[in-house]
Amino acid sequence: MSMPQSPFSPSLGVRLIRTFGVLLLGYALVMTFTVPLGPGIVDVRVSPGGDVGRRTTFKLDIEGHNTHFSESTPVVFLKRGEHFVVIRDLEATDDQHLAGQVILDKFVPALSWDVFINSPVDGTMSFANGFFAQGLTANTKAKSPDNDAVLNRLSQADLGFHFPFQPNIMETIRNLMLHVPMWFTMFLLMGISFAQSIRSLGAAGTAEHDMKALASVKTGMWFGALGLLTGSLWAKFTWGAWWVDDPQLNGAFVTVMVYAGYLVLRSSVQDEVLRTRLSAVYNLFGFCLLVVLLMVLPRFTESLHPGKGGNPAFSSYDLDSALRAVFYPAVLGWMILGAWMYDKTLHLERMRAALAVSRLQRATKAGLPFLLLTTSTWSEPFVNHGKMGVVVGVAVIIGLGLGLWSLVHTRQARALNQEMERHS
Amino acid sequence: MRETWHLVTYLWRAERRSQHGLVGLALFAIATTYAAYQVVRGRPDPTTWNALAWVMLLFTAFNGVSRTLEEDRPQVLAYLKTAVNPVHYLIARTLHNSAVLAGLACLLTALMGLLMGWGTLEGPRLWGFLVGMALTALALGATLTLIALIAARAGAGFGMTAVLGLPLVLPVVLVSTSLGSDLMQGVLVADTWHNFAFLGALAAGSGTLGVVLFPYLWRA
Repeated sequence: MSMPQSPFSPSLGVRLIRTFGVLLLGYALVMTFTVPLGPGIVDVRVSPGGDVGRRTTFKLDIEGHNTHFSESTPVVFLKRGEHFVVIRDLEATDDQHLAGQVILDKFVPALSWDVFINSPVDGTMSFANGFFAQGLTANTKAKSPDNDAVLNRLSQADLGFHFPFQPNIMETIRNLMLHVPMWFTMFLLMGISFAQSIRSLGAAGTAEHDMKALASVKTGMWFGALGLLTGSLWAKFTWGAWWVDDPQLNGAFVTVMVYAGYLVLRSSVQDEVLRTRLSAVYNLFGFCLLVVLLMVLPRFTESLHPGKGGNPAFSSYDLDSALRAVFYPAVLGWMILGAWMYDKTLHLERMRAALAVSRLQRATKAGLPFLLLTTSTWSEPFVNHGKMGVVVGVAVIIGLGLGLWSLVHTRQARALNQEMERHS
Repeated sequence: MRETWHLVTYLWRAERRSQHGLVGLALFAIATTYAAYQVVRGRPDPTTWNALAWVMLLFTAFNGVSRTLEEDRPQVLAYLKTAVNPVHYLIARTLHNSAVLAGLACLLTALMGLLMGWGTLEGPRLWGFLVGMALTALALGATLTLIALIAARAGAGFGMTAVLGLPLVLPVVLVSTSLGSDLMQGVLVADTWHNFAFLGALAAGSGTLGVVLFPYLWRA
């Protein structure tokens, strides 16, 4: 029996690419966790104080993230159009908490105001509609409490290399380097499978092409499952639910279902030639419909998910240079890792073919943690510290997933190797 | 063209010859509608009506497409392989399935109208809904025919068709449900024409894919 070529003796070029990929991934992971997030406002709480004659006092409690309120007292003001209100009596309890108050007349130009904070250390931060003047009356003719003279007191800050702070998303913006490349890698692998399925149907098609298509689908399913799990955790703490009805999410789920169907179909056919034909035809048919489902239909629907529909959250204007500098290397690194895992899986498939063992393969199922606990106590570690826990959770899921993959892979490889030795 | 037409009539005759085929499907559709009627008891709101209509059409479609005709015996298929062009066979089979599905869709809509009312559908929008159902039947027929033939070649039946087909008909379902809910909410047919165009494009697209891919199944 001829031993299939070992994956541990790859050519120099392949070895260089893999080293490059590992370096990129290492760089991206270190950067993902060490680059500081820019300062921002997490919450503004407004409590109406006592009425002094015709005027009302409002107390503001501001919670910041990565801010330095006690280092230098910032300038805090409310803004709506051309109107300004400066907050006075500022007092910083610590770096993250700032209290202040404002006295307003009964008639104000607007009820809802954006809150702005500026300091020499943190620069300018804003919180949209953070102040609502409860109990007052809006009147367009009302005199503006302050004017734009406050703008002259603002100072610029040099924040250095940092990720942009976005309300609600906060630290979880780091997941961009973990969750998103899962899908990119999956599509790369499904693309490989598509190409190999076409070749397997051609006149020069061999069992080798079919094996390649199978190995890339198997590897891609791991990335798909990790993408679903990590996305589910991220969604819980930014959109408030494990799963939301959204074209992009439906597409992702259906993609995993289609390839699970592919694996089920393969496992139900024993004849090799027929199996190649059937699964290749289904793969091509499925891939084309997925393109319609993922690329075409979502553009005609509203979507919560960034990059599609009416919400281009991570498009050019927020994917700033710091994110780009980490995101692109991360995508390339994950893709090279995916290709490497594909190669290792392909080696196992070759061994299987050499042993002529046809085993029933269970289709990988993507488990979704639907409707878990909804109490708040367990979720605190995720929400505290600017939702940094979600990033850690996502990284842990990916780490566990890849660990599970290597465990499964090693066990299968050991079993096949033993069988190989017995035969030879 | 003549061969395709000949095959369509051949499949139709095979259909008529089997005792339980069409009648069984019609009974399935009637029973499903009646069960749904029993659950909602009376006139459902437009959203429920729309959801029921498409879910029932979807399940009837899976039943309709994945049943095997008596003419699907291996011996007959072996003869057909030598005698007819695979593309013609697939087109005939798709047309046949789509016609059966369109008939079932009309039956379902009529039954729903009798038992649960038309909701807010009337006049041109009712006709638009029926045209949408027919286009959906065509698109489902085009997608599911190939899937059912794959499942049949794999030696597996209804379960395999559902596993392989359900994720793939999702684009059709998404478009047809949004068409249905548009019409139910009183949107004019002219203002939701893009959904008709989508359904037509999906039917044409999956039909073309099937025509390209089916010869490989046929040869194996």
